[in-house]
Amino acid sequence: MTTYSLPLSKRKRAVKTRPPRDALFIAAACALGLIVLVAVAAAVIPFAGDPARIVGPRLSPPSAAYPFGTDALGRSVLARLLEGTRTTLVLSTLAVVCTAVISVILGLVAGYAGGWAREVIMRLSDVLYSFPSIVLAILIAAVVGPGQAAVLSSIVLVTVPLMTRMVSAAAMSVAKRDFVTTAKISGVSAPVILFRHLLPNVSGTIAVQGTYALSVGILVEGGLSFLGYGVQPPRSSLGLLIQEGGSYMLQAPWLLFAPAAVLVVAILSINLIGDTMRDRLDPRETRSLV
Amino acid sequence: MMSASHPDTDTAPVLELREVSVAFTSGAGAKRRTVRAMNAVTLEVAPGETLGLVGESGSGKTTTASVALGLKRPDSGEVLLLGEPFTRSRRANAGKLQAVLQHPHWSLNPRRKVGESVREPLTVARRDLSRSEQRQRVTEMLEQVGLNPAFAERYPHELSGGQRQRVSVARALVTEPRFIVFDEAVSALDVAVQMQILALIRELQAEHRFGALFISHDLGAVERVADRVAVLFRGDLVETASTEEFFRNPQHPYSQTLLEAL
Repeated sequence: MTTYSLPLSKRKRAVKTRPPRDALFIAAACALGLIVLVAVAAAVIPFAGDPARIVGPRLSPPSAAYPFGTDALGRSVLARLLEGTRTTLVLSTLAVVCTAVISVILGLVAGYAGGWAREVIMRLSDVLYSFPSIVLAILIAAVVGPGQAAVLSSIVLVTVPLMTRMVSAAAMSVAKRDFVTTAKISGVSAPVILFRHLLPNVSGTIAVQGTYALSVGILVEGGLSFLGYGVQPPRSSLGLLIQEGGSYMLQAPWLLFAPAAVLVVAILSINLIGDTMRDRLDPRETRSLV
Repeated sequence: MMSASHPDTDTAPVLELREVSVAFTSGAGAKRRTVRAMNAVTLEVAPGETLGLVGESGSGKTTTASVALGLKRPDSGEVLLLGEPFTRSRRANAGKLQAVLQHPHWSLNPRRKVGESVREPLTVARRDLSRSEQRQRVTEMLEQVGLNPAFAERYPHELSGGQRQRVSVARALVTEPRFIVFDEAVSALDVAVQMQILALIRELQAEHRFGALFISHDLGAVERVADRVAVLFRGDLVETASTEEFFRNPQHPYSQTLLEAL
């Protein structure tokens, strides 16, 4: 009941000394927005052609006819890149939504209930967390069988532990606040306290961790598909395209370059957006709780 | 208003602690330490009365508040709210006891409108009222604590510390509880605002006749609101006296030290 965290003066100072990152943030948001927009638009209007069709000679370099060149079977790299980007984004986003739901429930319960419930949830996520993510992903692919389901479940299991831990830590600090104690005294039930009082006050943490999870998700998809456990041909994904491009790195570098560039730009932008959001939203560092 | 439902003839204590002890242990092995936060504390709060509980930091004031609010089970001894022991379900006591806690910044959920925060106890204790009837109660309550009812639509960050503490008082009173704990309720406010809030508590108590446990390290504040004063010293209740008597002639050496420090 008599709890303090950082004194206000200190928090304000922390906010002021942070360098302005608006320009970077805007650039990152534009880059990511562009990638998403183009990838989604290609599904609606197939301006880049059919990714499965053989349109020209094999391994032809970028030209007016084939803007990003063609691959080893003569398919348009641009069309495959757009399809692959879409697959990767959709899989990662779907997985992160699942992660968010699981982690928010587990994290809120752990943070609010404390005691053995917290111990059980935290130790379980420690176990998951202790696996290197790609090893865990391969393990899951071996169990589930290669394919999109393996990618999805791998991303969820790789991202759940960290997000659960962060949500639980944030929920724990909110649970100590006087308004939660007062609600308890008023007889408000635990589920209502979780969703009315804790959830809105940890939403910043959820958003920030969600963006980090998204970038981890894209990396896990890339890794799994690269190793052949993920998305299977003839479908494409960024990981699969990088793997295919790798085999022709010397003869046709454009095969590797395009998907790798999209992957790097996407992950960089997402992390930059996450950093900016953390600086602005995270209740541990800013005034969102005040 | 509803004060008619609390007949003045009802003089049974609203809160009774009988020989309540609480100890905290920390560390393991040779480093194991036990702190006795409450040592066979016996006290009672009569309806309409304010018992001031004073003591230095670490004397067990906050533990006493937790026990009195049913948030902490004592290791031994009995806690009776309106003559009944606390049940496992807090809902059974919903609306009968409330609290105004220390920190005006964290007393209200920053993501909810003030009116919703004040209404919350009613959503548990007065399910018989419709939403609009509950809102009506909130409006009345805000007026009673001296706030414009338009504050119901504002968010806590738009309010000053004193205004927030008034909102906390409104929330505590909205269910017409028989017993309210004020845990360092004015300590974080500046002196002028403290005086206003203390006067408000006095005024509302005269009208609603709730029993109050007023916990503070600030003897000046206690002198203004309390009818009786109890002194905690390292978990022991060393003195209980009427406020007047206590400030005129403290018995226990520790009480004398406290008053000299004032």
